[in-house]
Amino acid sequence: MSASLEKGVRVLKEVIDAPIASYFSSCVHCGLCAEACLFYTETGDPKYTPIHKLEPLRRVYEQEYTLLGRVAKWLHLSKPITDAELAEWQELVYNSCTLCGRCSLVCPVGNDIVYMVRKLREGMAISGHAPNGVIEATRRTVELGSPMGVKLHAVKAQMKHVEAETGIPIPLDVEGAEYMVQLSSMEIINFPEYLSAVARIMKQAGKTWTLCSTGFEATNAGIQIGVSDLARVIVSRIVEGAERLKVKCVISPECGHAYTAIRWEGPNLIGRPFTFQVKHILEVLDEFRAQGLIKTEGMETDRLSFHDPCQITRRGGVIQQQRNLMQMVAANFVEMPDAGKYNWCCGGGGGVSANEEADELRLSAFKRKKAQLEAVKPDRLVTACAVCRTTLEEGLEHYQMDLPVLGLTELIAEHLVESGDGDRKGA
Amino acid sequence: MNKHGNLLENLAWQGISRRSFLKYCATLASLMALPPTAGRAMAEALARAPRPSVIWLPFQECTGCTESITRSHSPSIEGLIFDSISLDYQETLMAAAGHQAEEVLHKVVAENEGKFVLIIDGSVATGLDGAYSCIAGRSNLDLLREVGPKAAAIVAVGSCAAFGGIPKAKPNPTGAVAVSDIIRDKPVVNIPGCPPIPVVMTGVLAHFITFGSLPELDRLGRPRAFFGETIHDRCYRRPFYDQGKFAKTFDDDGARKGWCLFELGCKGPVTYNACAHVKWNDGTSFPIESGHGCIGCSEPDFWDAGGFYKALSMPADPLKFVAGAAVAGAAVGVAVSIANRARKGAAKAAHETATLADLEK
Repeated sequence: MSASLEKGVRVLKEVIDAPIASYFSSCVHCGLCAEACLFYTETGDPKYTPIHKLEPLRRVYEQEYTLLGRVAKWLHLSKPITDAELAEWQELVYNSCTLCGRCSLVCPVGNDIVYMVRKLREGMAISGHAPNGVIEATRRTVELGSPMGVKLHAVKAQMKHVEAETGIPIPLDVEGAEYMVQLSSMEIINFPEYLSAVARIMKQAGKTWTLCSTGFEATNAGIQIGVSDLARVIVSRIVEGAERLKVKCVISPECGHAYTAIRWEGPNLIGRPFTFQVKHILEVLDEFRAQGLIKTEGMETDRLSFHDPCQITRRGGVIQQQRNLMQMVAANFVEMPDAGKYNWCCGGGGGVSANEEADELRLSAFKRKKAQLEAVKPDRLVTACAVCRTTLEEGLEHYQMDLPVLGLTELIAEHLVESGDGDRKGA
Repeated sequence: MNKHGNLLENLAWQGISRRSFLKYCATLASLMALPPTAGRAMAEALARAPRPSVIWLPFQECTGCTESITRSHSPSIEGLIFDSISLDYQETLMAAAGHQAEEVLHKVVAENEGKFVLIIDGSVATGLDGAYSCIAGRSNLDLLREVGPKAAAIVAVGSCAAFGGIPKAKPNPTGAVAVSDIIRDKPVVNIPGCPPIPVVMTGVLAHFITFGSLPELDRLGRPRAFFGETIHDRCYRRPFYDQGKFAKTFDDDGARKGWCLFELGCKGPVTYNACAHVKWNDGTSFPIESGHGCIGCSEPDFWDAGGFYKALSMPADPLKFVAGAAVAGAAVGVAVSIANRARKGAAKAAHETATLADLEK
């Protein structure tokens, strides 16, 4: 295998750009980012201060791109980056960062810290310092098509199952459809109700849609491990599929980082604008709601709260849509403290849930979510990200909290006013 | 002067009514930022003042301060305040001369030890043991060392007494120093100015007589009430400064329109004094109103401040240096940026597309 320190340092030199230079020069060492990070607040260990996680990147910046740093390097006064050091930082860059971006939000000088963590991962991965779990997820995505090893035949089996259940045909590779629906492998395996919900909603809204045999998987492990070359390979499958089918809009599923991957990183990775729009399923549902395309009936009467997935809400800017949708179907909707863009991460994003080494840390960081939930004591928790959902379920089980978690799309689908041609009953 | 009877009778004798005296006290109190009730207290105190003994010692001076206080406002109410004090020794004003005068001085000092007010104008010559300035065969330095410690309060009148003034200007051949350089163990009230404004001096005396204490002083020993703001802060030409309208010469259009004299060297922005609102010559005007910038005469070392006609913030040479440094800094910045671009470019050129094999060692 060919990972090496030399390659890693070269990549770090390559990824340092004007924003990073200005971020490092403007950091005032105030430490506010520490209080914004759940790995710091729940452990109290200062090594989890977000800006500290970037130390190797900062050193490369200083030694390569600043006058004094270059003089110091020339005089052998500065300490070069070592393999041992990067090995030590692996925990900080992968295990204790979910790329949730809460640190970027609170930084008083506007440093996008999570942007820098993402860039540092480029060098970490290429120097052989990515966690095995994340490497394997990346390998499966590149080689098999999905981080969980899901292949097209599994999707087809799922389609058949949903068709039988709903009586609605699930379109595959339909050219000229308005929407191309993406799935995350978690949804294919664990949460088949998502596909069924989408089918029913699309039917009621009267929209044409399709799945794509060459680009059904929305998740992108290349983003999580931080290797743009691989992320590009993965995102290109969707872009090629969408352009081949000439769809108007690609719908990112209930998955946080998939949205970031296709919506924000995608065009930058392939180096050109898309010929189609990208929307999150929550954005599409709220549009349908606003246009009166979907009608619901009945209200959930138990106490429901909503967990905002970081990549969708904080990083993606989808904040109000899910609230509008919750109001449609929940009579007793309560907001957790810090809900919305300041919401605390479930602890599983950014590749952390695929990383077994991080399990223990992730569960202790979950105390933050636990405290948030205890403050409002909901009967059920709604979210819109499959990774959040699994992480939440694991955390709740660990802390023996009896709290069912469900997806917002399926909740909406359960309340659709359906005409008699389907054999499903309403909620 | 009539020195019998109380002050009000004296004033009446000079044609000044009780009402205008009260008005004067109220004005004085407000000038000194005292509460309004202080005006009445001041009037009452002054009216029945026990007439504290005042000794005025002239050192290295030009008598300009005495002229300012005793003559330019005469016969003004300020001058009459002296009737509530017993001015026992003032060379310029006293009738006595020679041995007689010296006798009075020593008698008053001995009789009023710890009670008299000592006013000094002029700086203290210290060169040649003070031999540059002597009265009756004794140096000023010697006299100050003897009389100073016995005074209840010391008031240094004029820039020379307060800060050394013109005698102390380079090269200071007589080794002139301020009164406060010699008297270090008790507060000295500095009333700088060349000359100082009369009302400032009478205000300090009135405060002492009324309250038995000295007014609040700033870090340079000046009464805050009169030296709390700069000339610039209270200047009627300030709006022109704020609009960036400056006279460039003394006879240009701007000068005729009364624009700001900053570029002609006005020291108003750095000079703390009451000229701009108390004014001179019975409230007639002050220098800037007459078309000349402030020369900063009440500030320490004003004579050596680099020329009366040199604008405050236009020192030419340091600016050239700064411009040079800025150019050099920008050049270094450009060089570093080019080098950084090259470095990043090289790293980019060396990019090998990452594959799965690159993730493990």
